[in-house]
Amino acid sequence: MNTSPKPKHRRFPARGQFLIIGIVVFLLLCACATTTARVGQWLVNSLVGDGLPAAHDDETAFFTWAANSSELTVAVSPVMAETLLAQAQAFNSRGLTTADGERMRVELVTMPPQEMVARALQQPNFQALAPDSSLWLGRIDQRWAELFPAAEGSLAARRVGESTRYAVSPIVIAAWEDAARQLGWPEQPIGWQEIQARATADANFKWNHPSTENAVGMLATLAEFYAGAGITRGLTEEIATRQAVLEYVRDVEATVRFYGEGDQAIVQRLADEGRNFLDVFVTQEQTVIAWNQNQDSGQTLPAERLVAIYPKEGTLWADHPLALLELDGRAGPALTANQRRAYRAFTEFLLDDESQLALLQAGYRPADLTIDLNAAHSPFANSEAVDAHQPQTVLQIPSTPVVDVVLNVWRYTKRPTNVYLVVDTSESMEGDKLRRTKAALQSFIAQIQGDRDRIGLVEFGSGVKHFDSLQFMDNDGRSQLLQVIERMQANGYTTLVDAVRTAYLDLQSIADADAINAIVVMTDGQENDSHYKPRDLQLAVRDAQVPVVIFTIAFGRDADRSLLEEIARIGGGQFRRADETDIEELYRIISTYF
Amino acid sequence: MNRTRLLFVAIISVAVLLVIGTLVWGALTRDPANNGLTVPRPERLQIRVITALPVEPWARAAADEFNAGEHAVDGVPIDVEIIAMDGLTALGKWDRNDFAALPAEVRPDDLTAEEQAVLDHFPTAWIPDSRYLVELANASYKERLGRDVFLSDGQYRARPVAVSLFAWGFYNSRGKALQENLGEISWSTMHDAAIAPAGWPELGGEAAWGFFKLAIPDPRKNVGGLATMIAAAGEYYNRTNISVEDVTEPEFQTWLAELMSAATDLSGGSAYTAEDFALFGYTAGDGGQFLESDLLQNLQGILTRWEESPIIHYPKFITWFDFPFTVWVGPETSALQKNAALAFQRFLLSEAQQRKALSFGLRPANPNVPVDASDDSLFVRWQEQGVQDVVPRTTAMRSPNRNVLLALLRWYELNVAP
Repeated sequence: MNTSPKPKHRRFPARGQFLIIGIVVFLLLCACATTTARVGQWLVNSLVGDGLPAAHDDETAFFTWAANSSELTVAVSPVMAETLLAQAQAFNSRGLTTADGERMRVELVTMPPQEMVARALQQPNFQALAPDSSLWLGRIDQRWAELFPAAEGSLAARRVGESTRYAVSPIVIAAWEDAARQLGWPEQPIGWQEIQARATADANFKWNHPSTENAVGMLATLAEFYAGAGITRGLTEEIATRQAVLEYVRDVEATVRFYGEGDQAIVQRLADEGRNFLDVFVTQEQTVIAWNQNQDSGQTLPAERLVAIYPKEGTLWADHPLALLELDGRAGPALTANQRRAYRAFTEFLLDDESQLALLQAGYRPADLTIDLNAAHSPFANSEAVDAHQPQTVLQIPSTPVVDVVLNVWRYTKRPTNVYLVVDTSESMEGDKLRRTKAALQSFIAQIQGDRDRIGLVEFGSGVKHFDSLQFMDNDGRSQLLQVIERMQANGYTTLVDAVRTAYLDLQSIADADAINAIVVMTDGQENDSHYKPRDLQLAVRDAQVPVVIFTIAFGRDADRSLLEEIARIGGGQFRRADETDIEELYRIISTYF
Repeated sequence: MNRTRLLFVAIISVAVLLVIGTLVWGALTRDPANNGLTVPRPERLQIRVITALPVEPWARAAADEFNAGEHAVDGVPIDVEIIAMDGLTALGKWDRNDFAALPAEVRPDDLTAEEQAVLDHFPTAWIPDSRYLVELANASYKERLGRDVFLSDGQYRARPVAVSLFAWGFYNSRGKALQENLGEISWSTMHDAAIAPAGWPELGGEAAWGFFKLAIPDPRKNVGGLATMIAAAGEYYNRTNISVEDVTEPEFQTWLAELMSAATDLSGGSAYTAEDFALFGYTAGDGGQFLESDLLQNLQGILTRWEESPIIHYPKFITWFDFPFTVWVGPETSALQKNAALAFQRFLLSEAQQRKALSFGLRPANPNVPVDASDDSLFVRWQEQGVQDVVPRTTAMRSPNRNVLLALLRWYELNVAP
């Protein structure tokens, strides 16, 4: 008989074991909960985003820099790009270092101010920005506060940190001297209303203002609304949307020859075409000074001076701020202490005597108030074309929501557009080129927002492969056109001239004289299969009922540059080059002309 | 319970008691000044001073001189870094805890190296525009941490390092026209000018001058904007203590909205300081209320750029800014850093630096230094423009409380520049 005690079969663990098991289970639950929460957060972020605006395509590229980076990237508006680049190069050549021995560098990226605003709200590829006006900084902070509202009883966070101004220039109406005299300059004060009245009364009077993507265009648009309402301050959403005001703006806008990207493009066209191009245009005072300086130095420009008309009702300032973004690390790397130091060093550099005098010589009014604008060698001294004591008054800049309303309303009052996109889809466009082209066309269509704007499409290879006549850009029209673009396939030869002529003749048959009529043609190859020649196009232009502007784009190195230049010349438009990296941006820029 | 279990429970209890005892002892004997981050003795000691914009140029020049002078604390050389920031922006950052102050129960020694590295950028001191901003920040932290982070007494108390006040600045031609037609420069005069529908022709000025343009800092971007609105309320009610009820009173709000309608930029893009008043001249502002020091610093610029001499008047209800140098007493900065900040504070208050403040248009906080103590004093240089050594009337506005400021700011955002 086995007397040894039976082993106890304990069905349940002892209390101590319970405790250990309990702790283990608890820790496992914690770990699971953390993992679950993180996965859940990831799913939520994937589905609805993390509170930041959705980035677009290549904008999702994550911009990053080292934690001690001392390289400051500044987004600069096109109008200041050349001047600021020279300053940045001079700054970099000094080889300044931070306290921890990192070399400070300033890099520039050129960008329209409106795009700076959009990018600054995400994780941008820049830490500082130099738009043409502080207006844009206010818009960034306004949008930021909408995205991340302050808690009850708290102050809202700001995206824009410290800022400074390094140069200013008032926005003026630039006119050829004799055109200005015809308007009454310099004896009579001239205002926005005189220009607008002249434009509506005289069909031969050619004037222009840039698109609202930059401060000059925005001011010109605001000035029209003020003039339409008969006031110089107190513009409200209600006033801006009154029927009488809208009709006034529509009448004035109908006289604008075309819009465009800004000062440099206008100056280039003036140099090419002189008085035939424009009589007056809205620009910053600096453009007038720079033009006259080039003329005095004997550069190949039309031998006529420009003068600055300071509108009597008031104007605005292009005040050229340089501002730091308070990147807080919520969507990418935060602003580093060294980048902050680089910003400060660069602002000090821009405000030192040498830089400020260089800005004065370039035609700007320097921020350093000890510099006398009328001193000897100043471009303001002994000049009738500009006046350092002007302007006398400004228009009131409305709050951001009112400016938004003005811009939105403007899209429906601006001069309508009929534009044909003539697109090469021959065999050589196969692959990445076609993919990029489709994206660029989609981007162009997205930019055209006016309810009276129409877009058509001519796809060509061995002949016209697809012809989509002009249609209004309402939801249906837009959607249909985007589908056509999506279906485009690369094959066949290159019948460039035939395709352009097809679009041209269709615009002539419609003969819509109230609209801007235009063709934007792109090819990557050599013309090799057209029935018609450029001279046939020339003949068609000669017999035209309505003017049609033709923009030509050479996509890649193999494009027939000379032919495209000739077509642009015949169509009174512009020739541009592009490759896979900038074709989308080029289409966006061209869209600003409409 | 057997003996083994009893022993186990006893050991655990003793350990728990030891931990609790240590924590309680630490809390009872905590000295705010010596409660800092434990760091190895550095080769150089860096301190960061958040500095209000009106005193930033003076403080930066002083910091450069201080750094070059190899000042040291406990034998460690000090580097002062000045970080320019408007008082309102800084208050917002304290409010939202953007500088990442530690929660009450967390001590720096408990942090990982990575977390401690974040504290490297924590401000050591703050020079806001006015003492009331310190009180507002303290109130916010008291709610969060249960204690003050800026002290009002003792070694680390806030001490004013310079003083300035708000004064009227006008372009001479515009100021004279207003005085001749509407009388003494005051908020009431500004209001009458603002509501003149025909603008300057109705006010005795030239048609080319357009509408009357009131130059006033944007209250969303510059604490001076709020200060001037409080001063306007003071004159409206003829008293110095302004309440939430006062600023929310409908008739007052209508009056203030009419006054503000004469501002030239409602976009929020610019803070609009005296520097803007000089840079854009009479085109964007005929006159308005500015900090005296800002105005004095820009008078020469106005003369050079616009060839018109400006004039200064002192208002009936005066708002003072006292720029208190305030040391952060939390554990995020080390005791060495706190003492280094005090060394810089003493340097700013030295007679030599106080005299230099005169050339920036700041009134000395050190009573031993009169406003004409230096040849460079802007108070001497611009006497003909109306600047006075002693302010003629001393009806000083009292500091508003947080709710008054927030109510005014909210009203501005909803009604003037939404």
